[in-house]
Amino acid sequence: MPDTDTLIQHYLEGTLTTTEAEELHALLQAQPELGERLLQHFDMDAMLRATKPLVADNIIRPALLPKRRFTFATVTSVAAMAACITLLGTWLMNAMLNQRPEAEETTASVAVLTRGVNLEWDSAAITPGTPLSPGWLKLKSGIAQIEFYQGARVLIEGPAELQLVSSGEATCTRGKLSAQVPPQAKGFRINTPKGTIVDLGTEFGLDVSAANEEVHVFKGEVELHQPAVTMKSLKEGQAMAIAGNTAVLTANASSFASLNEMDARSAMSQRFQFEKWLGSSARVNADAGLRLRFDFQDDEGSRSLRNHAVNGGQISDGSIVGASWTTGRWPGKRALEFRNVSDRVRLNIPGETKTLTMAVWVRVNGLDRAFNSLFMSESWGDRKIHWQITRDGKVRLGIAGSNGAHHADHDTPVLFTPERFGRWTHLAVVFDPAAQQVRHYANGELLTRSALKETMPLKIGMAELGNWNDRRSSGGVAIRHLSGAMDEFTLWDRALSDAEIAVLAK
Amino acid sequence: MNTHETQAAQVFLAHHDFVRGVALKYAPWPGLMEDIAQQVFLEFMAKESQWDLSTDARPLLATMTRHIAMRQWRERTRQQPEVVQKLADHIRLLAEEREAPPRYEEEISVLRACLQKLPEKSRELVELYYYNDIGTPQIADQIRMKADTVCRALSRVREKLRECIERSSNQGGPAHA
Repeated sequence: MPDTDTLIQHYLEGTLTTTEAEELHALLQAQPELGERLLQHFDMDAMLRATKPLVADNIIRPALLPKRRFTFATVTSVAAMAACITLLGTWLMNAMLNQRPEAEETTASVAVLTRGVNLEWDSAAITPGTPLSPGWLKLKSGIAQIEFYQGARVLIEGPAELQLVSSGEATCTRGKLSAQVPPQAKGFRINTPKGTIVDLGTEFGLDVSAANEEVHVFKGEVELHQPAVTMKSLKEGQAMAIAGNTAVLTANASSFASLNEMDARSAMSQRFQFEKWLGSSARVNADAGLRLRFDFQDDEGSRSLRNHAVNGGQISDGSIVGASWTTGRWPGKRALEFRNVSDRVRLNIPGETKTLTMAVWVRVNGLDRAFNSLFMSESWGDRKIHWQITRDGKVRLGIAGSNGAHHADHDTPVLFTPERFGRWTHLAVVFDPAAQQVRHYANGELLTRSALKETMPLKIGMAELGNWNDRRSSGGVAIRHLSGAMDEFTLWDRALSDAEIAVLAK
Repeated sequence: MNTHETQAAQVFLAHHDFVRGVALKYAPWPGLMEDIAQQVFLEFMAKESQWDLSTDARPLLATMTRHIAMRQWRERTRQQPEVVQKLADHIRLLAEEREAPPRYEEEISVLRACLQKLPEKSRELVELYYYNDIGTPQIADQIRMKADTVCRALSRVREKLRECIERSSNQGGPAHA
């Protein structure tokens, strides 16, 4: 058995074996004075490490490879260097921009779906927050609120078919809609199979069925244009069939959805979804394969995120650094906003993970950096993982090779375009050695499968949500923080199926 | 950085050694002190707008450091085998029960002077182990000695440095190792 000095040295060096730990513990219990001696060695050891930068010029340089250790002095030096690099980068970027302006990104969108209640689509599913390009919207049921870029607000009630033409024009071939047109959007036009309504700054309703088409004016004035017929003007409180009987009727506002009604129904719908999510939490937490679940419903003053996974085992709570609380995907639901280079949630996933599924609700505000962190192991190498979004909008799972082997990047096609910024998106990724695949999902739908060549277990270790800590002791620290928010993060040690991921994204 | 942020960073750096001392008291685990100091810095700066920098920052930094030290201590030791956890708990209890307050801040400046007075061989050993981050088994290979001998030699160097610091503190004069 080693002597006391050797045991203390092994403790300081972090190389105690379990037998030695037992022995040292027994000695400390038997000899109380040994405790103070050990602590004095411990203090001196820490102080000696801290003196390193001050005498670094005098040190000798043996040929042996050093073990790297992380010091605060290194961090501050690296941070200063990173700041210089950032400034230099900005200066260079400005200089380049002055010489040769980059082509600006463009969007074809003319309107945005701002809210929806119980939406079911016959056309491609659209969620609130989605910018809309010219084309057909076919709503099977529910109520959708669309805001045109010229300022008109339109509620459509399913079943309905609406073709967006421009930021000031649409065509309705079926269903009911009501429109609120502020003065800025005067001239907003809605075409129907039998005519065109031109709004002069008002509120009106339109009912288009196979048998009949009616326009009801609730406020202000509209013009009704029909082929080969003189333009008619309808005032507040009046209604008229667009073809056939042209008698002036009384407007019936109660038969159309109003913005107030939309407010109430939207709030109820969101509350219902929130409560449904709360109700399902216990079942998700109890999943045998769930190792980590941050629901982000911790107290607003809290600086940690609780791991709710019943079988979370060794994975402790996450520590919030810098990030601030904000509203999540429903009113009353909390989320964390990542804005600053320091913002992050630090956590530790000890041991090896043979199979892995991760899922997150994320709202991306912009992709300002080459790599924008979702969840990244600290540093890089030996089966660590980096789940991130690249500057061009691809979601990437990077897996480091073992023993210096080359890493593998598993990318999606471009997902995050400017139209998706500011909207909540559900992302999931599955590392599935049994199927030899990595699968990416967005909003519950499979985006891509890529072949997994190296199936060795992952070693996540210390990691960060929304940022990256590169523990290098020299060189610049890459800035990879997320610009956006997260409101739920889950991690399993099993491969979730397509159906299970679709349920998570609901 | 705005002016208040700059001031906050300066306040922290002025108390950096104080934070390290508190970290040692509450988390006597190898290699943890710098991680704790870094985390305290990050959290201190994240909330810098809340701090009144004209008052003594020590009570605030002590509280923050204690919380972070306890948290990181738990996280770090939880990963260890049970026997090591028991040993770590025992050592932390000893550190907390120590009557003397952390003296890191005063001692480290004296230590720098003491280091200059070490015999050449002892100084080389410090440089190999502490400044070149070479482990004791590799040092033993390099200088053709037994690893246990290197451990004992390092122990003696630390004790000499401790004696030097004590002497300097008692005499209030120049340090002699």
